[in-house]
Amino acid sequence: MGGVRLTLGPLLFNWAADKRRDFYFRIADEAPVDTVCLGEVVCSKRASVMEPDLPEIVERLEAAGKEVVHSTLALVLSGAEMEQIRGLAQEPGFLVEANDVSTAALLRGRPHVIGPYVNVYNEGTLAYLARQGAARVCLPVELSASAIGVLAGAGLAEIEVMAFGRAPLAISARCYHARAHGLHKDGCQYVCDRDPDGMAVESLTGQEFLAVNGLQTLSHSYVNLAGEVASLLKMGVRGLRLSPHDLDMVAVAGVFRALAEGTLEAGAAFERLGTLADDAPFSNGFLHGVEGLRLVEGHLE
Amino acid sequence: MNATPSSKAMELVCPAGTPAALRAAVDAGADAVYLGFRDATNARNFPGLNFSREDLKEGLAYAHGKGTKVFVAINTFPAAGEPGPWHGAVDDAAMLGADAVILADIGLIDYAARKHPDLRRHLSVQASASSIEAIAFYVREFGIRRAVLPRVLTVAEIAAINAAAPVETEVFAFGGLCVMAEGRCSLSSYVTGQSPNICGVCSPASHVRYEEDGDTMVSRLGGITINTFDRDEPAGYPTLCKGRFVANGETGYLFEEPTSLNTLQILPDLMKAGVTALKIEGRQRGRAYVAQVVSEFRKAVDAAARGQTVAAAVGLDAVTEGGRQTAGAYRKSWH
Amino acid sequence: MKPDSPMTPPLSPTLLAGMALRPLPLAPLRPILALVMAAVVKRHPRMFDPLRDFGDPVFVIDPVDLPFVFVLRPAAQPVGLRAERTAEGIAATATIRGPLPVLLDLLEGRIDGDAMFFSRELTISGDTEAVLALRNSVDGAGVELVPELLSFLGPLAVPAGKAVDLAARVARRFDDDLQLLTDALTGPGLRRVEAQAARIRALEERIAKLEKRAKGKVSPT
Repeated sequence: MGGVRLTLGPLLFNWAADKRRDFYFRIADEAPVDTVCLGEVVCSKRASVMEPDLPEIVERLEAAGKEVVHSTLALVLSGAEMEQIRGLAQEPGFLVEANDVSTAALLRGRPHVIGPYVNVYNEGTLAYLARQGAARVCLPVELSASAIGVLAGAGLAEIEVMAFGRAPLAISARCYHARAHGLHKDGCQYVCDRDPDGMAVESLTGQEFLAVNGLQTLSHSYVNLAGEVASLLKMGVRGLRLSPHDLDMVAVAGVFRALAEGTLEAGAAFERLGTLADDAPFSNGFLHGVEGLRLVEGHLE
Repeated sequence: MNATPSSKAMELVCPAGTPAALRAAVDAGADAVYLGFRDATNARNFPGLNFSREDLKEGLAYAHGKGTKVFVAINTFPAAGEPGPWHGAVDDAAMLGADAVILADIGLIDYAARKHPDLRRHLSVQASASSIEAIAFYVREFGIRRAVLPRVLTVAEIAAINAAAPVETEVFAFGGLCVMAEGRCSLSSYVTGQSPNICGVCSPASHVRYEEDGDTMVSRLGGITINTFDRDEPAGYPTLCKGRFVANGETGYLFEEPTSLNTLQILPDLMKAGVTALKIEGRQRGRAYVAQVVSEFRKAVDAAARGQTVAAAVGLDAVTEGGRQTAGAYRKSWH
Repeated sequence: MKPDSPMTPPLSPTLLAGMALRPLPLAPLRPILALVMAAVVKRHPRMFDPLRDFGDPVFVIDPVDLPFVFVLRPAAQPVGLRAERTAEGIAATATIRGPLPVLLDLLEGRIDGDAMFFSRELTISGDTEAVLALRNSVDGAGVELVPELLSFLGPLAVPAGKAVDLAARVARRFDDDLQLLTDALTGPGLRRVEAQAARIRALEERIAKLEKRAKGKVSPT
């Protein structure tokens, strides 16, 4: 499938089991992606929703020739959460993605992936993690092109960049979905399942700018690096990550595949993605070293 | 050494944004003072704040003269391709005789451990080491001697960490309260382009605007309205996590009210949980704040060490954000 | 804000209105301000260095209980501090508003600026970063107004033995002058305009003497 690895990131939202299974089955059958990340990243309370269908989903994806990466929690607090991850890390043949330093430590000595929630800002940290066995690193969303260029050019690990979807901006021990519904985390009634792409957060002047997803806070805008794919590949980035949303992700993957293969112009790609995302605002500011919420036109240097 | 009535008194680690604040903290009974250099290598990179190398030299002399330790926070994440300022900060802290460096970045801790094995290394809260495994990793790999725990843990979780992790722990005792996991928050850079991890600033003043609209004060960060305050309504810092927003049809403090952490009432619990040191937040605050908060906590920590309970310090109300206090994540009800 | 709070502006709106009817002469303030600034800068020569990053910022410091504003240019050479009747027409980088006692406490680091801001006793507008730089610089310097003014005025070619005595006298006089100014602005005398005028005349005379004494110290030439 060409020189670039297209990865479907972990589903960040609390979708119903049926919807989730149907989504992944279709991805397995139709999406031009190389790798699919499965697993709960945001909230350990939700993990049980995913589990019963997981073996079937893995099988279907692998049968379709896709690599499966097992993603893990971004914020590990309790011993029970740690044990769950330990179990995953000991599973033979699993490629596991660490989203917390504790998980990276568990995976030491075997090939693994470092997810975007681990702070890899520079070549010193990248070199250390690579020595520990990190073969692939999806960089934090707030890194600019100049930092990405240095890390991708270092040749220490395969570098992946998030190219589509709401940017994960923060994680907390507190559940804001529950809080917004007047509930406590312990009795959350899983209200996060009401917002398949996150709950809109508006400023007092009616400006939508964030989206809440349980313990996680996301950007309201969708990161869209369609215009920068060529530049990223040129600087040595080997993978693009598409974060799942409640829209036609098969088509989104198709757009990025075509972009990577040079069969689609950035302008046309933008237009198509705009239609697919129902005209959600796009942003690429982090990559351009400015406010993350901005959409900067023009090329990277 | 400042008078510690019992060997089990928790160590009081106090903020110094300026040399004047350092002297205030030392004079008020700090066991240790933490500070940063005047650049992006520390997480309070604010205008007019922090220490030159010369300031640090003088500060060390003053503090050491009174038996107070000095920790240098180099707790941002070095820029890719430009590790020079961060390596230089570690080298200079070691050369000038700092008692410890407070670090967050794996690469930088690795550098410090190799280059200055005898320099005491503390793990910054910005490393967000929230589990025994994470802390054990930094101890095993880089020989950190103390971990500053993230403000996401309950007292019970802290006790569990202390029981298992072979390292001193330091917890926040008073002041500003991050409600997101520290060192893993890009809210500021999403709206302002300035990231705590990269630039050492959260919600930088350069992007903050206050406007008076009749009796109402409006605070804005970047292009986003963070809050409006009625006349005489207590205000807070213009950070996104303490703003008033609309979600699920309700207007309110979605993430957290403007409030300050205060653990005066739970110091005995923290002591019982095996905490080594207490950290006062506030390198951006004035020296009056430092003097007042440090002396209140000096009394309280010593009382706790004698097994006495401490009375609430009414005076501290005045220095809290929004005029409100919370025990934050230490109590499970906060989550 | 509680009505009996010590931070309550000492002037009621009615009094302020009365004040506005009768312009207070600002001329007497000029030498005092120059004196204060010269003393502070001499003691803390690098205090305002961080403000240079902002070019030549102009701060309007507005004591809400006085009928005039201070205009501070900390990065100018020499540092500029003057009083103006109104902030109108001044291209301010930022404006800081609060009761005079709060502003003085802030200057001398007796209170925490953030706390005053949280409690809404202090309001700021304009370039927030510049305000922060000013606040941090001033707080970090450790300004102590009266002692510094004394040490500045102290060795006025006075024989060593008399220096202490002189300092004490200057201190008393300075205190008196401040008291006089405060009285003039806040006292019940305000109700009787004639009395106020007399007080102000007396103040002018005292300040003229002080100015004479400090001459040569104020201008760096």
